[in-house]
Amino acid sequence: MNTLDSQNMDANDRRRLVSKKVCMIGAFSVGKSALVERFVRSIFSDRYLSTVGVKISKKNINLNGTDLTMVLWDMEGKDDFADVHMSYLRGAMGFFTVVDGTRKETLNMALHLRNLALETAGDIPHIVLINKSDLPDWEITDERLAELEASGIRVMKTSAKTGHAVEEAFLSLAEAMTKGQ
Amino acid sequence: MSDKALPAPPHTETEISTHDGDSDLRKLRELLFARETAQLQSLEKRLDNPVVHARDTSEVIAEALLLRAQKDDMLYIALEPLTEKLFKEALRKSPMDFVNALFPLMGPAIRQSVAETFHSMLESFHRTIELVFSWKSLRWRWEAMRTGTSFAEVVLLHTLVYRVDQIFFIHAETGLVLCHVYDEGVVIQDADMVSGMLTAIQNFARDSFAGGPESSLDSLRLGDLTILLERGSTAYLACAARGVVPPEFRERLRNTMAALQIKFSDELDSFSGEVEKFVSARGDLEDLLDVRYVDEDAPLPLWIKLMPVLILLLFIAGGGYFWHDRQQRYLAREAAQAYMEESLAQVGQEPGLLLIEIRQDSSGHWEVIYQKDPLARDPKPLLDAKGIDPKSYTLRVIPYVSYEADMVTQRVKNRITPPESVSMEFDKDGTLRLSGKASMGWILQARQEALALPGVEKVDTSGLADPRIEELKSMIALVEGTVVEFPLGKDIPVSEDVTKLARAMDTLVRIEKLAATMNVAVNLTIYGHADATGNDKRNYEISQERARTIAAMLYARGSSIPIALYGMGSEQSGGKDEVLPDFRESGARQAAARDDQSRRKVEFKVHIVQLPPDNSMLNILH
Repeated sequence: MNTLDSQNMDANDRRRLVSKKVCMIGAFSVGKSALVERFVRSIFSDRYLSTVGVKISKKNINLNGTDLTMVLWDMEGKDDFADVHMSYLRGAMGFFTVVDGTRKETLNMALHLRNLALETAGDIPHIVLINKSDLPDWEITDERLAELEASGIRVMKTSAKTGHAVEEAFLSLAEAMTKGQ
Repeated sequence: MSDKALPAPPHTETEISTHDGDSDLRKLRELLFARETAQLQSLEKRLDNPVVHARDTSEVIAEALLLRAQKDDMLYIALEPLTEKLFKEALRKSPMDFVNALFPLMGPAIRQSVAETFHSMLESFHRTIELVFSWKSLRWRWEAMRTGTSFAEVVLLHTLVYRVDQIFFIHAETGLVLCHVYDEGVVIQDADMVSGMLTAIQNFARDSFAGGPESSLDSLRLGDLTILLERGSTAYLACAARGVVPPEFRERLRNTMAALQIKFSDELDSFSGEVEKFVSARGDLEDLLDVRYVDEDAPLPLWIKLMPVLILLLFIAGGGYFWHDRQQRYLAREAAQAYMEESLAQVGQEPGLLLIEIRQDSSGHWEVIYQKDPLARDPKPLLDAKGIDPKSYTLRVIPYVSYEADMVTQRVKNRITPPESVSMEFDKDGTLRLSGKASMGWILQARQEALALPGVEKVDTSGLADPRIEELKSMIALVEGTVVEFPLGKDIPVSEDVTKLARAMDTLVRIEKLAATMNVAVNLTIYGHADATGNDKRNYEISQERARTIAAMLYARGSSIPIALYGMGSEQSGGKDEVLPDFRESGARQAAARDDQSRRKVEFKVHIVQLPPDNSMLNILH
C-alpha cells in the first residue's frame, strides 16, 4: 500500500506536494551516516559533516498518494551536546534520534539531544532508532526500551547494515508527520 | 358554506350595495375578512413598491438563474449581447484595469514563448560558433576539452556578461524549497538538497561568526558564480548567477522578495511543508531569469568594431602607396634610363661622334664608349648640357676618322683655309666642289691638298675663278689683236700704228706684272711679216728685222718678257687665232698678195707659262 519512490527520480521533474525537514541527531559514531548512505539520496559528500556540521540528503516517499519529500539534515555526531549546531534543528518537522545499541551511553546523549530538539523545534514527531541491531554486544535492555516507550517515546530497533526496519522507520515518521494534515 | 362564501365576496359586495343595509354588510365583512383585507393591502403595497420588489427578487435571482441555466441555454442567449456590450463598455472606460488583470496571465505565457525563441536562437548561435574556425574558437574548444564541459557552455561563459542560472524561493526556517526556476541550458542539482545545504551554510556562518539572528549572508561567490541571497521575514530568495551581476538586478531581487513575502504571507506563516501552495511564485521568479550577453548591453564603440576594417584599409592604402611609390620609382628609373639612352644616342648623332657601346651595371652606373673624330666636339660637355649627371657614367673615347660630309668639309676647311669668297660643297660620293673667287695659286694648292685629305675623292674647281685671269685674258686679247704695219722696205712701224703699238707694249708690261702676282710666267712671240714683193731672202730679213725692232722697243720700255722672234718672210698668218708656227697655207699667201701694206706687219702671241709644273693651269686658261 505504501510504496517507496524511486530514489533516482529527479525531484524537479515531478509535482511535489509536501516537503518535510527531518533532522537526524545522535552521538558520535552511532551509524547515522550509514543509515543515510544506504537508504537515501545525497549529492553532498561526508566532508560537509565535519566542516559545516551537517549534510543534506533526501528521501522521496509516496504515502497514500501524497508525494512526500523528506529533506534529511544529517547532523554531525557529537559526544558533547554543547557543540551541537542548534540552529540546524530550527524548523524541523520531525527527527530521528539515533542510538548505538552496543553503547548505552549513546542513549543518554540521544535523549539529551531529543530534549534539545523538542525545545528548539517544538513538539514534533520523532523516533528513536536503536541502531546496529545486528551486532551481538547489545547493551540496551528491552526493559529500558519498554521504559522509554512507556514514557511516550517511539523507539525502533534498526540495522543500517542489514537494512532491518530502516524503511519502516522512514515511513513511520512520514506518517506521523503527515497525520492531521 | 365556507367554500361558497370565499370566492363570492366581490359579488356579494355588489349585491349588498344594491340593497339597504350597507353598513351591516360592511361590518360583517370587516368581521369576517379584516385579516385578509390587511394582507391584501400589504401585498398590493408590496407589489407597487419597486424597492421591496427588488429586494425580494434579489433573494431568488441567483437560484433562478441557476435553475434556468440547468434547464436550457436561453439564459446564455439572452445574456450574451448584454455581456458583450457591457464588456466593451468597460474596456473602453478603463483599459488599464484589464491590462493589469491580464498581465499576470500573459506575462508568463509571453515569457515562456520568448524563452523558447531565445533558447533556439542561442542554440543556433552556438552552432554558428561551432562552425566558425577561428583562433578564439580553437582556444575555447581546447578549454572545453580540458575542463570536460560542452563547447557551447564555454562559449556562453565567455560571451556572457551575466546570466541568472537559477532561483530558489526557500522557506527560511526549514530550508525547504518552495519554488525553483532555472534556465533551460543550465545543469542543475537537486533543488531540495541544494536549498537545504544553502540554508545550513547560512546557519553555519551565522553560528560560526557570532552574527545575530538578524544578520544574514548577502552573497556567496564561487569562481564566476555568485549566489545572491535576499531575505524576507520568513523566506528568502537564492539566486545563482554567472558573471558580473549589475546592482539593478539586486534591486529587482529585493522587490520580488518583498512582493512574495506579502503574497504568501499566510502560507509562509503556517507553513508545514505544503510546497504546492507556492506554485504561483513561479512567474515572479521567472521574471528574474535574466541573461545579458557581451554584445547585447555593452556594444563596442564603432571605432573598435571598425578597427579590423581600418587596419585592412590602412594596409591596403600602405600597400597601394608602397606599390605606387615603387611603380613611380620604377617608372622614374625607366624614364631616366630611357632619357640617358636617348641622350647618348643624340650625342652619338653629332658629326664625328659614334656611339659604340652602352652598358649599365647592377648599381645603375653607365659605361659609355664613343668613337670620336679629332675634329668632332667633345661628348662630355654635350652630355652635361643635357643634364646628365657626370657621376652616373664613365666615358671612354676612341679616336677615329670620320667620313661624314660635315667632318670631311671641316677637315678640308681646316687644311685649305678658303677665303670668304669661296664656298665649299661636299657630295656623298666624295666630290668636293669649290666655287667662288680665289687666286690661282690658292686654287692650285687647295686642289692638291684637298685631294690628300681622307674622304675627298675628287675636287671640282670648275666653279672657282681667279678675277685676275679675266683681266689677264682681256689684256692678252688686246695685245694679240694689235697688228703693227710697216712702210715698204722699212723696219720702223707706220706712224699711224705708233700709238697702237705703244698701247700694246704698255699692256704687255702690265701683263708681265699681273702674271708675276699670279705666280705664272709670260712668254711673248713676235711674228714679223713682209709683202710679196722682192725676193724671199730679203723678205725674211726684213720680216725678222721688223720683229726685232719691236722687241727692242719693248725691252726699251722696261719689259723683261722672254721674247721669241720669228721672221716669216712673205708668209702670212691665217687669222688672229692662228698663231701657230705653220703658216704655209695657199689662201693666206693669196690674201697677202692682194694687200701689201697689210702684209708688212708684226703680230704678237702671248704665252702664259705655269710656274709649278702643273697642267691644270691650262684648264684654267682655256
